Amino acid sequence: MRPKARAIPRQTPGCPLGPVHRRVDASVCPPVFALLRNLFFSRCEKCELGAPQILVSGSGSGTILAIVLPWKAIVHIPDGFLSTPVWATMDVAAAPAVGYIVRRAQRGFDDSRVPLLGVMGAFVFAAQMINFPVGIGTTSHLVGGALLAYTLGPAAASVVMSAIIAIQALVFQDGGILAMGANLINMALVGVLAGYLPFYLWGGGRWRKLAIFSGGALSLMASAVLALAELLVSGVPMPSSVLGVSLALFAVSALLEGAITLAVIEALETIQPGFVRKPETGRSFVLGAIGLAAVLLAAVGVLVASTAPDGIEKLGLQTGIALHVRSLVTTPLTGYQAAFFQAGWLRKASAGLAGLALIYAACLLIGRAVARKRSV
Amino acid sequence: MHRRDPRAKIAALMVFLVVLATAHRALPAFGLALVLLLSAALIWARLPLFSALARAAIVLPFSLVFAAVCWLSGDPARGFSLLLKSYLSALAVLLVVSTTPFPALLRGLEMSGAPRFLLMVAQFLYRYLFVISEEAQHMSKAAASRGATVGSFVAGRSKGRSARFRAAAGALAVLFARSYGRAEDIHRSMLARGFLGRFQPFGALRFRATDAVFTLFASLAPVLLRAAVERAM
Repeated sequence: MRPKARAIPRQTPGCPLGPVHRRVDASVCPPVFALLRNLFFSRCEKCELGAPQILVSGSGSGTILAIVLPWKAIVHIPDGFLSTPVWATMDVAAAPAVGYIVRRAQRGFDDSRVPLLGVMGAFVFAAQMINFPVGIGTTSHLVGGALLAYTLGPAAASVVMSAIIAIQALVFQDGGILAMGANLINMALVGVLAGYLPFYLWGGGRWRKLAIFSGGALSLMASAVLALAELLVSGVPMPSSVLGVSLALFAVSALLEGAITLAVIEALETIQPGFVRKPETGRSFVLGAIGLAAVLLAAVGVLVASTAPDGIEKLGLQTGIALHVRSLVTTPLTGYQAAFFQAGWLRKASAGLAGLALIYAACLLIGRAVARKRSV
Repeated sequence: MHRRDPRAKIAALMVFLVVLATAHRALPAFGLALVLLLSAALIWARLPLFSALARAAIVLPFSLVFAAVCWLSGDPARGFSLLLKSYLSALAVLLVVSTTPFPALLRGLEMSGAPRFLLMVAQFLYRYLFVISEEAQHMSKAAASRGATVGSFVAGRSKGRSARFRAAAGALAVLFARSYGRAEDIHRSMLARGFLGRFQPFGALRFRATDAVFTLFASLAPVLLRAAVERAM
């Protein structure tokens, strides 16, 4: 029986915030496994925001210098990353969307409920400090959009996430001010709604646990992929290897988010069943299914796009051109013709992705308004 | 600078950010000019200069990764631009937020048209952020004193690990319930103190002549700097 790997604190050079890393000693587990572990799953305990670490990982075959991408920080886009058409369009799109969702939330919660939303936002901040063990030398933490949607409802959850993003940008300088429109759309609007959709469709029945899990995973995946698409459309060069690593990290984080959300919801139900909402009556299955298909196409389709460029390129070509003609007055997506990319298919896919996501958000908002009118 | 109207500072910040975001040529010189401008503003506001410069560098690790990717992809100019713009933006935001009390900042945003409901949520969030974070830290410390350290998390067989996973989820659920209970208490105490159901805007802000002068100069400064640098190039 192989001896268990011990975690040994080491002084690892290169972490900008200093001290101790937990690194698995390579001598007590197979070298390749240790290498992969240290490559992808070691995290500095101080760099809770996911600062990149330069890990010198020793294995039986020599030392390799690895640059690990930040885990969670990637979804908060700072200023200076997005090109002017992109951030301007996102700001213009986010302003009415956020205004609408705030009015929508106010319908369910009057002003006296504001402390509840504020405290729940503080809870999400604090919850991001609690680490969950996920094996192979790493811990993860909850992002929280889906959890908020299941307990407060999607509109209130969007408002709380918007407040969180604003506080993070202003007080902690985590995320840019001009890029706040993009961050709001990614995380507070699409993230929360994408997380709520599986619950909306299947939260009442037998598949409840799977719905909650997939909601958590989808919220993270959709917001991360949308952020990545915005960066690509802005022309930030991203070679395929970096892109692949990012997507793999996102996928893993998404699964973890789903698992943590499910675990927390189950724990909440044992404490007090009233916390978690039942999906509301009068909901429209068709609209929900269309929304879910759009989100899945945007979020998961990009993973398929990495391995099957030709088919997606055609799809992206069609959707890209169609969107270019139909939906946008300003020119964020025409910018991609001027920008340079590593591969032609990336250009089309990312444009299609961003356009799809925008249209999805619009459809979902309209769909909810229609569903509400029908149920009243 | 601390006494200027928040709206003036927000407007100046917006102009600064837009001028910065649209700058493409002569970036090193322009960046240096803007750093000097912001440093002068920091000194005028009597804020500790090096602490502020270091605090704004919190955005650098993330930008450095992307800058490295840009550099390795053959476009070092873009990488440098990423670094510079994110750092300057963080520094500018830090300057504005450090010279404005948070309620006044939100009030200025409200008068500039942001939805009041959202700003009220942000205000309560800010107020209870540190309270709830401390409570979470207490719970972490209590759990650690009962043996649930990160080391015990990552080692151990899978059955123990899933039990600890569920324990962490339970801790989070307890924090949720406590936060919810605290929010209910706050609600009740607000009602007990005569809350009428709608927040009134507090402390009307007055936009004085000094604020107008400040806005003018603070908005013109980055524009003139950029024009000067680009003409000199």
